[in-house]
Parts: sequence; C-alpha cells; structure tokens
Amino acid sequence: MALNFGYNISKPRVIDIDRNNLRKSTEIIRELPELQSCIGCGTCTASCTAGNLTSFNFRKVHTLVRRGEYQGAYDEMNKCMLCGKCRLLCPRGINTRRVVMLIKRKLGDF
Amino acid sequence: MSFYAPFTLPFIVGTSLLFLIVVWRYVSWFFALPKADRRLFWRSIPSMATFKSLWEAVRECLLHVRIFKVDWRLGYMHASLAFGWFLLIAVGSLETIAYLGFEMVPLQGHVFFKYFAVQNGITEHKAVWDFVMDFLLAVVLSGVLMAWFKRLRSRSLGMRRTTKHIVGDKVALSFLWFIFPLRLVAESITSALYGGGSFLTGSCGALLDRVFGDTLLAYAYEPAWWCYSIALGGFFVAMPFSRYMHIFTEIPLIFLRNAGLKVASREKSYDNFEVQACSRCGVCIDPCQLQSVLNINDVQSVYFVRDRRYNMLTQQTAQNCLMCGRCADRCPVGIDLLSLRLNSREAMRNIPAERRYDYFKGLDRSEGEGRVGYFAGCMTLLTPRTMTSMAQIFEAVNEQVWWADRDGGVCCGRPLKLSGEVDSARKMMRYNTDLFRKHNIRVLVTSCPICLKVFKEDYNLEGIEVLHHSEYIARLIASGRLALHHTDDTFTYHDPCELGRGGGIYEAPRSVIESVGRLLEADHNRRDALCCGSSLANTVINDASQLRIATAVTEELDKTGAQTIVTACPLCKKALSRSATHRVRDLSEVVARAIVK
Amino acid sequence: MIHRVAVIGGGVAGMQTALRLREQGLEPIIFERDTELGGKVRNWHQLFPTFTEAEAVLLPLRNRIMRENIEVRLRAEVKKFDSMSVTLTSGERVECGAVALCTGFTLFDARVKDEYGYGIYDNVFTSVDIERKFVDGEFKRWQGREPERIAILHCVGSRDEKVCQRHCSKVCCITGVKQAIELKKCFPNADIFNFYMDIRMFGPGYEELYHTAQREYGIHFVRGRISEASPLMDGRVQIKVEDTLTGRPLRMSVDMLILLVGMKGNSENVHFTEGTALRVADNGFMQPKDLFANNVCSQEEGVFYVGTITAPKSIGEVLNEAVVAADRIADYLKK
Repeated sequence: MALNFGYNISKPRVIDIDRNNLRKSTEIIRELPELQSCIGCGTCTASCTAGNLTSFNFRKVHTLVRRGEYQGAYDEMNKCMLCGKCRLLCPRGINTRRVVMLIKRKLGDF
Repeated sequence: MSFYAPFTLPFIVGTSLLFLIVVWRYVSWFFALPKADRRLFWRSIPSMATFKSLWEAVRECLLHVRIFKVDWRLGYMHASLAFGWFLLIAVGSLETIAYLGFEMVPLQGHVFFKYFAVQNGITEHKAVWDFVMDFLLAVVLSGVLMAWFKRLRSRSLGMRRTTKHIVGDKVALSFLWFIFPLRLVAESITSALYGGGSFLTGSCGALLDRVFGDTLLAYAYEPAWWCYSIALGGFFVAMPFSRYMHIFTEIPLIFLRNAGLKVASREKSYDNFEVQACSRCGVCIDPCQLQSVLNINDVQSVYFVRDRRYNMLTQQTAQNCLMCGRCADRCPVGIDLLSLRLNSREAMRNIPAERRYDYFKGLDRSEGEGRVGYFAGCMTLLTPRTMTSMAQIFEAVNEQVWWADRDGGVCCGRPLKLSGEVDSARKMMRYNTDLFRKHNIRVLVTSCPICLKVFKEDYNLEGIEVLHHSEYIARLIASGRLALHHTDDTFTYHDPCELGRGGGIYEAPRSVIESVGRLLEADHNRRDALCCGSSLANTVINDASQLRIATAVTEELDKTGAQTIVTACPLCKKALSRSATHRVRDLSEVVARAIVK
Repeated sequence: MIHRVAVIGGGVAGMQTALRLREQGLEPIIFERDTELGGKVRNWHQLFPTFTEAEAVLLPLRNRIMRENIEVRLRAEVKKFDSMSVTLTSGERVECGAVALCTGFTLFDARVKDEYGYGIYDNVFTSVDIERKFVDGEFKRWQGREPERIAILHCVGSRDEKVCQRHCSKVCCITGVKQAIELKKCFPNADIFNFYMDIRMFGPGYEELYHTAQREYGIHFVRGRISEASPLMDGRVQIKVEDTLTGRPLRMSVDMLILLVGMKGNSENVHFTEGTALRVADNGFMQPKDLFANNVCSQEEGVFYVGTITAPKSIGEVLNEAVVAADRIADYLKK
C-alpha cells in the first residue's frame, strides 16, 4: 500500500490527539526514550537510501507514530533497508535502526 | 561373585536414565536433520573425517587443548576433571581385570570395585593399582579444588569473570563437586577397615581411624558408599538438564561438523548439537567488549546459548551483540556462535512483507563502464574521502570503472541479514546481482567490509571476482601498476571485524601500509583486534555506549604513537574519528596521497 | 599585597580585562602566545549585528593598552600557573597576586565531518574561511563566474553528538545571517540559502537582522540539516537535505557551501585541572564556580575566568564580562 503521508481526501488532516489512542506510542517511547530527543532536523531522511528512491520519510513516520497516527506506519517502515546511514548521522545520537525495528514490531497489525 | 548391593541403586537408576535420555535425544535430533545433512554424515563415515573426528574428540573432549591455549591453569582444571575422570573409569576397569581376569562384571562392579572386592572376600592388595587409582583420584580432586577456587576468585585461573549459572546447573554442579570427595571418604573408610589403599585413600583411612576409631567407622561404612552412589546418580539425572550435557554432546558435534554440517540462516535440528555442546565455561565472556567496557553481563554468547537452550531467549539478549566474533574465535568447543545468534534473530523477526522492496524494479543509478565495478556501499557515501581516493587510484592505473552506487543505490543486504530479516535481504541480493550481471563486470571492488562479506558469502557471483579495496590496491602495487612514495610516516592499523575475523583479510592492508610508511601494531591486532563499537549488528546499545567502546579502542591506537590511524571500513573510520586524537584515515586515502605522479 | 595580575591570553577578553585592572590601579601583565594581540577577532571581517569592522573594536583596545603602558609578553606561552605565579615555557617565572584566564576557544575542525567534504572539494568553506576572504578582499576581486547559488549550513560541530559537541555555539546562527547579507552585497544575483535546525537569535538586534536578511536581501531559509555533499564535474557541490517543512528530500547544486563551524573547548583546558581544583565541564569548556553571581570565578581562590573559556559568547558579552572579572579580581586583591 503506497500511502502518501499527510494527504488523504477521505480523512480529516487534523491530528486529533484527543481521539488518537496513544497506548502504542507510549509503549514505544517507554522502550526507547531517546526517540523523544528528535529535533526534526531531517538528516536521517536526507541521507536515507530508501528515502532517495521512494516517498519514505523516516522522520515523518516516527513523528506521526509518536502522535498516535499509526496507519500505514508498518508499510512505510518496511521500505527501510536498515543500512544505518541515518544512525551514523543523527546529531542527537538516536538509535534509528532500533526505532525502525521497534515500530515494525509494535505496529505490525496497523 | 555378586556385584549387587542396595546402595548402588541410585547409581544404577541415574546411569540408566542418563543413557536413555541421551540416546533418545541424539537419535531424535539426528533424524530431524534435513535429508541432505544426514546424507553428508553417512557419507563421511567411511572417510578420513572419522579419524579426524576421533582425534579431535580425544584432544578437545578429554585433553581440552583449546582451553589450554586460553590459559594453562584453566586448561588443567578442565583436563584434570575430564581426562582424570575418564582415566579413573578406564583404569578402574583394568583394575578389575587385574583382580578378576576377563570375567563379566556389571558397570557398578567396576565403579564400586573397592566395595565389592571386600564383599567378595578378595583380601590381597595390588599396591601398583592402589597407587595408580589414588593418583588419578588426586588429579581429579585437584581439578575440583580449582573449580571451587575459581568460583571464589576467577582471576586466579586467568578469567576476569566466570559464568553465572541457573538452578539446574547449580544442582548438577553441587552433585559433581561432591562426587570425588565422597569417593575419597568411602574408599578411605574401606581401606581403614579392610586394608589396602595407597598414599591418598590409605593415609586418609589411617587418619580417620585415629580420629574416630574402628567402631564409628564401621557404622559410617555403608552410609559413605550410599552417599557416593547418590552423588553419582544425582549428577547423572541432572546432567541432561544441565550444562553437563556438553560432556557427551561435543562428540557427535565433532563428527557432524567434520562431516560438513553447518549452522544455517534458519534454525534446524543440527543447532541442538551446537547449543548443547556448550559447557558454559565462560571463556567467551572476557573478550566481549560489551562486558569489558560497558559492564553488560547477561548477553554474552554463553548466556545467549543458555537462554536459547532453555527457550527463554529475549529480543534484548539476541540483539545485544556486536557480532565482532571475538568470542567465537576463542570458543574451545568451536561453536558457531555468530550463525546461531543470527538464526535466532531470524526466528524472532517480523513477519516478512512480500512486496516491501517492489520499488527496486527498473532501478539503475550506476554510471561509467568497465570490467571493474566499484561498489561503495551506503556507509562509504558518508566518507567521501574514501571515494575520491579510490577515484584517484583508478585514474592513476588507468582503470575503466563502473560505479555501482556513487549516486546512491540499493544496500548490499548485510545489515538486514544481521537483523534476521533474511528473506527481505535476499531481495536486495537478487537486485544487486542482476545489476552486476547487467553491466558485465569481471571484478567487483568494494571499500566496505560489510558489503564484502555478504558478496562473498551470500551472493552467487560466479565469474565475478570480489575484492576488498585493500586486496585490490595490494595487487596493483605487487604487479607494479601503482607506484607509491615511501616515507618515514608512522601508521597504526585498526582491523575491521568484518574484514579480519569476518573475512580473514589481515595481510593485504598491512602490506599496503608498509609500502607507504611504517606500521606500528596496537596491542590487540589481527584475530585479537577490538571492535570499534558501531557494529551494525547491534541495535540495542545507545550512542553514548558506542562512543565509550570506540574511545577505549582509540586510546589503545593512540598509544602506539603512530601519526595516523588507518582503517579499511567506513563505519570504523566514522566511529574512531569521534574520539581519536590523531587523524583517522581510510587505507585508500593513505594510498592516494602517496601516488607517484 | 601583590598588585600584579597575570592575564593569560591576549584576545579581546584579555585586553579588556587588563585595561579594567589598570583602571582599578592594579598592574596587569598579558601573556600572549601569538605574535600580536587580538586573538581570533583579528580574523573577523565585520561584526554582527551592526557590520562594524572588527578592526574598529580591536584598534582602540590595542591603542589603550599601549597608552596605559600595560606590560605585554608576546610569544609567551604559559606552561603552568597557580594563583600566585605563572611559569612560561621558557622557564621564566612571574609572581602575581591573581590570574585571569582568557584563553578562549578552539574552532571546530570541519574535516571531522567527512560527509560535507571540507578539505576534499574545492568549493566547501568554513565561516572562518569566508571572514578571511572578506578581510583579504578576495570577493571584491572575484574572477570568473559569479556564484549563482550559495548554501550556508548551520550547526557544524555544534549540537552534534556524533562529534561529541552537544552544546549550542550560540553565535553561528547570527553569523550565518550576517555572512549571507555580506555575500549578497558582493554577489547581488546569487541565491543564498541558510540551512538550519533552529534559528537562535538571542541578542539585541539579531532578530531584526534576520528579518532584514529575509525582507531586504531575499535570503532563503530552509529548515533542514544537510546530510551529505558530493562533487559535480563542473566543480560545484551537490548537497542533500530534507526540506523538513515540506517533508521531502531536496537536492541542490551550489557554487559554494559554507559550513558555520562551532566553538569547542580548548584541549589544553584539561591541563589546567591537573593539581588544581579547577574543573572542565562536560562540554569541554571550563566550569565556573556557578553560573550566576560567581560566573567569572573558578573553584580556586585567585583564579578567574574571562570570556569564551567558559562557554560560547559574543564579543559584546566577552567585553562586559572582562570588566566584571577585573572588578572581582580587584576586590579579591584588596581583601
């Protein structure tokens, strides 16, 4: 499923934190608290091997997941090749490869 | 002659159970093997492999030569217990023959011969046999003593740390520790009451006699043999459920391994032999940098194998490993620790998504044309000095080069494989293989040891020679195509894990460095080289921990006093430059700077 | 009471401290390892946010030092010190009543960030190189094709765990804005892009200058940190970045890539702590006694800190701090 993150005609574009079920996102952050230190600089996405070939945007996917927007996250993360460039560059030292694996494990059924 | 007494019951029951369990296990594991594996085994029986295995079994299961190589004290401890015990049994059987001739004697008759000799009214004593048996018992007891001591102070036996055990092990261990002291007591009492015994049991008997007197000893006589028998029986029952299963399992493992069986990317029955052959000796703990630098004490190979054996393996343990191979390199049983961990990861992976890499279709970002292909690898794109240096080298030797991924490409698949996603990794392997074939290259050069390893081991690249850039450059120099200025500059070299232990390439980079300057070796080098800490295989430790490992490595490299730290892996380069006080360069940079124009 | 105060370092911090000490009736002596006074500011062209010539700050300081007859030791490297004396590498020992440490900072070595290609590609510069080029008038005499596109990258060696520089170097943001305007003045037809993670305009007139850069000079600001740079055949550099506000990767070929290099604590700082109570903070700068009323004091009586030895600071802040420190030294000596 090729999901275009951010654009969807049938659904409202509002991220409704009141309605979103944040349980999974809380679990993810509890397991890897350093994910909260992301400052959204985009280095990961800029260097991303998969992101340069597809619409995959690692920063956006994990940010949306943290906001409780899980739909399509698993499929998006599956585009990742786990090559590790992003981990080598992240200025906040986030273990990005673990983020990918964690989100895939937690959100396999979304 | 009668060879039955009630006290032998625990021993007989224990031995029978042990025999049944072990045989049932081996047979069921063997028949659960894939057909091809079984065929390999049958075919190996009438070949040299059998002799090789027999010799290896003697060397490793009894003498423990590989442990001697780690530390002689540790080696003696293991050998005295294993080989000592073996000789006790073997010489014990000869002893019965010496007394009784070739009469059919049941097992307990051999084991408790001292008791039955008295029982059957044999009164003569053959001093030579008494002496030999006492000597062997003394050897085994010295091993037990060392094992006790090792629990208290592991450093005295050359280990910084020793294994932490689980309950089953502790039960078996307690029985084991009591077996030989109890045998000493039982045999001493016997020789005190009925004569015989040499320097050990004889003198112990005399001592007991003086302290307690005949009457008391006569009361203790039967209970002492009971205790000895219970200790033996208890140990044998606990054995298949504890680490001591390794005593027998190492033998079929040696035979199967020499027949050509291997741990595969998916779990299979053969893994049982590997896993259960682990004696949990703990030799793998000390070389682990997660232990020595980060003080992580529950993920080392010994614990991984233990957890896997008892089905209590967690993601945390399986994933927390640098896969540097330092432990596997030292494992005295030669267990394929890395492959086992990989197939555990494979078993724990996410459900593979079939269409996840559909976007590879029709993709080709390569440029140039030539018989020689250069695959930079994702990481090398972040160390452009390596790429520009390679370009200069290619230009200097007038090589027509096809650049596979200068503008980004598809990952080699090794990182995904390291995370256990083997199916998905295959998609990348297929894509890249097709790409190499399409461009008709004859030689594939890569400057990334991670890519190199997967190209060599998992790709089917028949007709294409795969070379690491260090090998390629060494060849250019040897053939005279590339001339370099030799200077007095000093270099030290950091062996990347995937290149050294992983690929066996130690000399090519060293010869290249020696053709441009002087090489100063660090304390840990070649097979013993340390890992930079940034290994892609580990997705658990955080950035700060990676840095701490790297810092420990750079401190050692800086200590050589060399002006430049050289490595041959983009990941190592990145990791080491974070904390090094000297410049860290890739091998290609050092070469490119020295090219004679 | 000894009136002599050893001022170690002859940059703006050292000069201003010495001058104020003299006003307090003390006898400062400046030790500078370089051949002239002025420190790093000598390499700067114009200062933010007012485009004041750096020389306009340095010259009066230097002149007053001369006029006041303050003793200056050039090419004098201090080997060790305590609050009572200073020993030079030449072996000479100078007695004093207090020490003012004004040794400043080290510029981040951009070569460590291999992926930006500094030192490999011709058209990658640091912000310091650019200042130098302005000082030397290189841009005025620019030969050949005028640059059409210039990228300025913020936070190189700042806020980056990967090079062990977690802290913010504070002045790079405004330097980026200033240099963008200066470059735009030189090359009016060029498009100038600032690539940033956060824009931190903390000082007086800074936000206004940011505004001016956008409104009057048409400088572009793209929120995203460049991940890699690669060379093009024609000598230009291609950069890769995520335009985080649109969420899409962006590629751009530029004639010049400028890296705003951050401030690093001096590696010598560690030596100061040997045998003393002085402390190096986690970020590599010296740790003052506290960050409030005693921010120019150290853990040792009689040893004081001035300027960027304790943290990244702007020139104006350093000049203020020098006065405070000198007054505290005077108080200390009068006690």
